[in-house]
Amino acid sequence: MEMNRRDFLKTSITGSGGLLLALSLPGCASVETGYNADQQSWVPNAWLELTADDDIFFTLARVEMGQGTYTGLTTLIAEELDVPPNRIQPRFAPAAPEYRNPLYKLQLTGGSTSLSTSWEPLRVAGASAHRMLVSAAAKVWKVESSQCRTREGRVLHPNGQDSLAYGQLVALAAVEPVPSAPTLKTPDQWQYIGQPMQRLDAHAKVTGTAEYGIDVELPGMVYAVVTRPPRVGGRVKSFDANGVRTMPGVIEVFEIDRGVAIVADKYWRARKAQQALTVVWDDSDALTLSSADVMTHYRTAADADGGESERSQGDMAMALATADDVLNVSYEQPFLAHATLEPMNATAHYTDGHIDVWAPTQAPDLGCIAAARATDLSPDEVTVHTTFIGGGFGRRLTQDYIGEVAAVAYRVKRPVKLLWSREEDTRHDWYRPAMLHRLQASLKDGDMTGWQHQIVGPQILDWYVRDAAPAQYPWAPKFLYNTLGSVGLMAEGIATPKDMSAIEGAVDYPYGVDNLSIRHTHTDAGIPVTWWRSVGHSHNGFAVETFMDEIAHKLGQDPLAFRRQRLEREPRHLAVLERAAELGDWGRPLPAGRARGIALHRSFGTYVAQVVEASIRAGEIHVHRVACAVDCGQVVNPEIVRDQMESGILFGLTAALYGQITFENGAVQESNFHDYRLLRVNAKPEMVVEIIDSAAPPSGVGEPGLPPVIPALGNALFALTGERQRQLPLRA
Amino acid sequence: MPLTLTVNGQKRTFDIEDDTPLLWVIRDELGLKGTKFGCGAGLCGACTVHLNGAPVRSCSTPIRLVADQSITTIEGLAPNGTLHALQQAWIDHNVPQCGYCQSGQLMTASHLLATNASPTEADIVAAMSGNICRCGTYSKIIAAVQSVAGQKEEA
Repeated sequence: MEMNRRDFLKTSITGSGGLLLALSLPGCASVETGYNADQQSWVPNAWLELTADDDIFFTLARVEMGQGTYTGLTTLIAEELDVPPNRIQPRFAPAAPEYRNPLYKLQLTGGSTSLSTSWEPLRVAGASAHRMLVSAAAKVWKVESSQCRTREGRVLHPNGQDSLAYGQLVALAAVEPVPSAPTLKTPDQWQYIGQPMQRLDAHAKVTGTAEYGIDVELPGMVYAVVTRPPRVGGRVKSFDANGVRTMPGVIEVFEIDRGVAIVADKYWRARKAQQALTVVWDDSDALTLSSADVMTHYRTAADADGGESERSQGDMAMALATADDVLNVSYEQPFLAHATLEPMNATAHYTDGHIDVWAPTQAPDLGCIAAARATDLSPDEVTVHTTFIGGGFGRRLTQDYIGEVAAVAYRVKRPVKLLWSREEDTRHDWYRPAMLHRLQASLKDGDMTGWQHQIVGPQILDWYVRDAAPAQYPWAPKFLYNTLGSVGLMAEGIATPKDMSAIEGAVDYPYGVDNLSIRHTHTDAGIPVTWWRSVGHSHNGFAVETFMDEIAHKLGQDPLAFRRQRLEREPRHLAVLERAAELGDWGRPLPAGRARGIALHRSFGTYVAQVVEASIRAGEIHVHRVACAVDCGQVVNPEIVRDQMESGILFGLTAALYGQITFENGAVQESNFHDYRLLRVNAKPEMVVEIIDSAAPPSGVGEPGLPPVIPALGNALFALTGERQRQLPLRA
Repeated sequence: MPLTLTVNGQKRTFDIEDDTPLLWVIRDELGLKGTKFGCGAGLCGACTVHLNGAPVRSCSTPIRLVADQSITTIEGLAPNGTLHALQQAWIDHNVPQCGYCQSGQLMTASHLLATNASPTEADIVAAMSGNICRCGTYSKIIAAVQSVAGQKEEA
């Protein structure tokens, strides 16, 4: 599709002499490219706009939620355009087919894919515009373009004296042929890639001027809050709004799909009115389960069904039957909330048959579907504008809050901002699923001969496909949405990608062993779940690396040596493991009362190993130091890589030390940061991060720092106490 | 009854229910969006502003309690466009990730330095422990504060 489009552009531009042209695909807005004489601006491709005033705009299609796309992706295009990254003004992409993530065919920011999927296209886009600018200048000067150089946004004449700014060339460059395969710089020519660049969003974020979703303000805007059923699956039976409607500032009170909405002229008035609202819930379809019931449900499912085989080698049954000893354990992990510091929110305005939504979202095209579902509109009557995002971690891939604001805006027909409280954000999240893992290792003659891992729990796509499938086919009529979702599920692995969310990080077990069986018992307790930072790796990393530690101890082997000898065919795993061991002083004596644990995990193409040093004092776990080695291929910005490792480590430690969402009678019990704790600076360990030199293609860093730290800490606690913890969160 | 506050050096008068949290007055009445809502319960520090020079949680401070007093928000930290030394240090150290908590972090840190020009690392940690950063930028926050305090080692 990429090449076809470019070829089409090429003929159109040369044929029409640079007229503005619009590409259109059915059912979706699309990007206009070409030269606009009125604006004196040139849009060479979906990514760039250069103006006669020498402004350079870059359309950022992977949202900035802290992970650094605003800086990192701008660096890629700046490198090939040959301008300093801080000369380029990033702006957030609208929903359009050009901006889809090629891995998902959806406009998603997730899966630590932003850099890897942008690496080629953005450099090509920059190089293509660069080549056209140079060709235009060469024609002006009547010299060969191969003799012209560029520097910091200017084309330099071969005479060494004259030069032209890109802005002076835009009208001329626009009529140059679009190169089909422009030559990219070689690594030795890079000026910006691989260097620690200043974050381009830092100034706005330290002066309070960066606009997050919550900061969107429209003229005449009103405010909405929604009261939702406390129990999963509950619905509104009736509500008494008589006293509420007469409260100061209250404009409307009405039922929407998800609960009862109150709209008022001020946010605080809406909140106060909410306290006076009485809702009677219809709980006939509501869940009644508790957290303990979820695990019972999983155990029953696991007993009844050994699960689908996801990977098998050798003969695991034989290995178990002929073993000297079999190690047999279960690990249990709770539901987890995302707890983005910016709670869910969105702003919308419905006017003239069209709804505009401003939202901190990781998936604007799914937002279009959610808004269309909640109204009588079709997706092309919805425009989703994205903003800076106060933390995503996967939560904002699910678009329920956009559906809510659309329903409210469609009814009140004036600009409205919906804001969730922290309590609502905690209790109506779509969670990292609780999971059960059953592992068996066969041991013979002092060695591990077989590894069996049964993963028990839901798949994320079962929930996500509801809006994701229609978003892939935005021209499909709305009555087909649910069918598309079902077909998407049935066609898993054929029409839609295989759902790896439950098994990733387990099915790719890296250690050499003769007999291997990885199975998934697919079962769902009915609690809404979604992507959560590092997804399946967040629980499988713990299961695999804790069990490796258990086996090493059972065999009386050093946990590092036990892993190392099984990584002969995995040089990148081995290299990070050995480097982390060195950085973490593995094997060196420690003061009494402290111990170390080690873990290794590859996720999203990136290899990370960590050594954690911990103690227990006064009934609390203290994490003193985390040494981390990472191989993420070619590094674009080493400082962002290190920052993301620290970020993943602290996110993982938060889960390991405190993280748990519990249910009673189908309702979430936690509410705010006093009972859903997040790690604070006084619990921060010293962190040492080292990046392994690599020329492999770049892989993501937003998530891979997280999975190893949870088992590494658990393993350290075992070394400290001799007691193995098989449930999370960890206890002192 | 109208209430008067001085916000970033300017006197402002509001006719609003006196139990309205200061946060919503700052954000929605004055349009100063740099101060953020995180928890509504004084637990995360994203809403931190200065009341007569000392940090308070604006999300849980009813406006009636601060009538006729002086408030400084993140927008008031660099009143004439010249960044506060801590804001510059935050940029130099590339502190922000998602950035949502950083207004509150800066308001807390600026009060720390106003009252203790040479804090130890322990002083910094103690002062900053009320401000949550979900992205985990804590190492850089400490380094940035230390760079302004002009000392790197634990005293």
